[in-house]
Amino acid sequence: MKKKFLALTLALAMAVGLAACGNSGAPSQTPAASSPAASAPAASTPAAQPSGSSDFKVGAIYITSQQDVAGYTFQHHNGITTAMKNLGLDPATQLLIVDNVDDRDDTAVASAIDTLANQGADIIFGISFGYIQSMADKAEDYPDIMFSHGTGYLANDTNFNNYFGRIYQARYLAGIAAGMKTLELGNNNIGYVAAYNLEYAETCSGINAFALGAQSANPDAVVYVSEINTWGDEALERQAAQALIDTYHCCVISQHCDSAQPQLVAAENNVFGCGYNSDMTEQAPSAHLTAAIWHWNVYYETAIQAAMDCQGDASKFVEQMGGNAYYAGLAEGFVDASELNDMAAAPNTREVMDAVRELIQSGEWDVFTGVKLSYNISDDGKVEIIKTDADMFDNQGSMILASGSGNVIDDSAIKGTMDYNVKGVIAG
Amino acid sequence: MKRQPLFRVVKREGGSPARQALAYAAAVALALLAGALLLLAQGVDPVDFYGRMITLGIPGSRYPWRTVENFVKLFVPLLIVSLALSLAFKMRFWNIGGEGQFIMGALCASAAGLKLGESLPRPLTVLVMALCGLAGGGLYGLLAAALKVKWGTNETLFTLMLNYIALYFLQFFAETKGEWNFFLDPESARPRFLKFPEGAQMITLPLGPFQLNLSLIAALALCAAIFIYLKRSKGGYEIAVVGDSPSTARYAGMKVERIIMRTIFLSAALVGLAGAFYVSSAGILSASVTNDVGWTGIVVAWLAKLNTVGIAVTALLITVLQFGCQNASTTYAAIDANFASLIQGIILFAVLAADFFTRFRLAPRSAAVKEVS
Repeated sequence: MKKKFLALTLALAMAVGLAACGNSGAPSQTPAASSPAASAPAASTPAAQPSGSSDFKVGAIYITSQQDVAGYTFQHHNGITTAMKNLGLDPATQLLIVDNVDDRDDTAVASAIDTLANQGADIIFGISFGYIQSMADKAEDYPDIMFSHGTGYLANDTNFNNYFGRIYQARYLAGIAAGMKTLELGNNNIGYVAAYNLEYAETCSGINAFALGAQSANPDAVVYVSEINTWGDEALERQAAQALIDTYHCCVISQHCDSAQPQLVAAENNVFGCGYNSDMTEQAPSAHLTAAIWHWNVYYETAIQAAMDCQGDASKFVEQMGGNAYYAGLAEGFVDASELNDMAAAPNTREVMDAVRELIQSGEWDVFTGVKLSYNISDDGKVEIIKTDADMFDNQGSMILASGSGNVIDDSAIKGTMDYNVKGVIAG
Repeated sequence: MKRQPLFRVVKREGGSPARQALAYAAAVALALLAGALLLLAQGVDPVDFYGRMITLGIPGSRYPWRTVENFVKLFVPLLIVSLALSLAFKMRFWNIGGEGQFIMGALCASAAGLKLGESLPRPLTVLVMALCGLAGGGLYGLLAAALKVKWGTNETLFTLMLNYIALYFLQFFAETKGEWNFFLDPESARPRFLKFPEGAQMITLPLGPFQLNLSLIAALALCAAIFIYLKRSKGGYEIAVVGDSPSTARYAGMKVERIIMRTIFLSAALVGLAGAFYVSSAGILSASVTNDVGWTGIVVAWLAKLNTVGIAVTALLITVLQFGCQNASTTYAAIDANFASLIQGIILFAVLAADFFTRFRLAPRSAAVKEVS
């Protein structure tokens, strides 16, 4: 027994030895770095910004790897680095990341936040919903650090906000493209591969907005929803899309899930589709119409700028952001429908989408209101939007919203509590 | 004549401890060197990276005590689980159900914490949670032991399958909203676990800004207790005898079935206790609660050759490796968590290989033939 203890002690001794040499390395570097600084200060601080932002550090907690080339983390990482570059910050030295942080392990999330705090992060972004409790707790623990939580709903009045976007507006636009296509093909059936439906307001508001968009172009359009019960699983996404085509003869496949598989399946079956998260025309050029996409950099740029404007007083963050729940949409450029694929889309789709985009951007009209849209398209492609007061019904036949422009569904419902499908949506 | 394989694995006779120590040291050095080359290829200074890894990034950090607190939260469960599993392994009972027993312990402790945290004084609640963790994990493990004793079922498969049952059981509570489900926060539209009341959170002793987690003291005490149990007590001796040969044990008049049941209950109960400590330190139940300690604990137990002191040291080093890698990788934009896992993998693999080669050697075909003749 003593022998083995010796072996392990040796390993420990070695480890400590390495630690010591790591330690001795650090101080020897510091004077080395500071002595030339004395003689040539300009050379030693190449990152110096006139605004004094050179020491501002952004922290981020990701659910998968920062090296991803597609998917949710990739979108956010891309947004953060783009925003930082636009603001003159260097992601290589000023962005601290803890990635692969399981959002179902609060200890891991709390520890990741501590790591970022320890290394001097001024603002910490958490991108996954499950980080919510740890973000809220740590915002209290570290009043001198700003916290910003994506897709969540907790916040405080000083250093902690949440952010999300009106992706339903983009989905409405994509729905128009799908509806126009069904009109052209004379087949009213649309399929929708959804991670979840009624379980999450995020998914069911997306399905509802998409269906309303499709119905604005084709009042008879029907959306069949197939739930896969996970945010991403390429095999399940494939199967669900194929089943929707086989069972309901859907001619357009929309999706709320991670990969481009539903679009690939649409292409293989010579039908059409609307993607999500990124422009999937690249993956399915013959089938893909348009995708609801995020421009995360829009938020990250706003938030990092606001954080820097706090000048070190983290408690002013919420005030700088103009509130503790950022919820922007088409008007701010935070969400959009990706470039329409004219090769696949029905004629005049672009004109209708542009007209509706402009209408939403102007703030005159929004999706979840007591006014519905329809379109008059003249022979020369001029689009006239017709607004009609209409009651909104769920697919069980109960009225959700009375007609009239004064009646709107609250943002809080769209973000948090919506748990029904509108008329014309069928669980497939 | 049957064709000989190209190599045969032959047991080494009388490998000296010095040689083994040397092999371990060489393995770690080699692994670090390989990692250093990979780091250099990514433009990262390996000395600085390893320095940060081993010091957990503490020098120059703003809140060093938090790093130590987080370290303890990872170290304690791994230590207790490794110790607990070693009890079963000593008896040659392949308990690979650590994950499941951990989850059951955590779940039972959480139930107690959520129900009692408001009404009972904190030390009492924490104690009850620990007892519930012990019971939850222990009974879950006992299931596999009882079936083994009764019908000779294969405990490896059985404990493995029980892991998944526990995992989905926990997931069910994590995702199913309902009036009855007191684990979830009733105010959240999306299902999410309810935070424990103040009274159900692990007791910490303030040492300046540092909060000493009481579970660390409990784990170290447990370490000593198990050391004594295995070395000095009748129960510990029985475990060793049953492990060596159940027939001998039976011949010596030992009640083998009872010893198996007792030992597995103890082993699984301690794993459950680790689960209770983990959730109580976190102050909340999580759907992914184990941090893989049920698996890592197996590696730790075997690397330490089931030696109690060895387990404590190995668990410490493995936690430094895991936690340090994460800390170091955060500093460098080029390094992500996957790379940190890669470095951990290289080191572990090298050490396991060294362990293998100190105990066995590969005899080439010709030599093997000679030996046979």
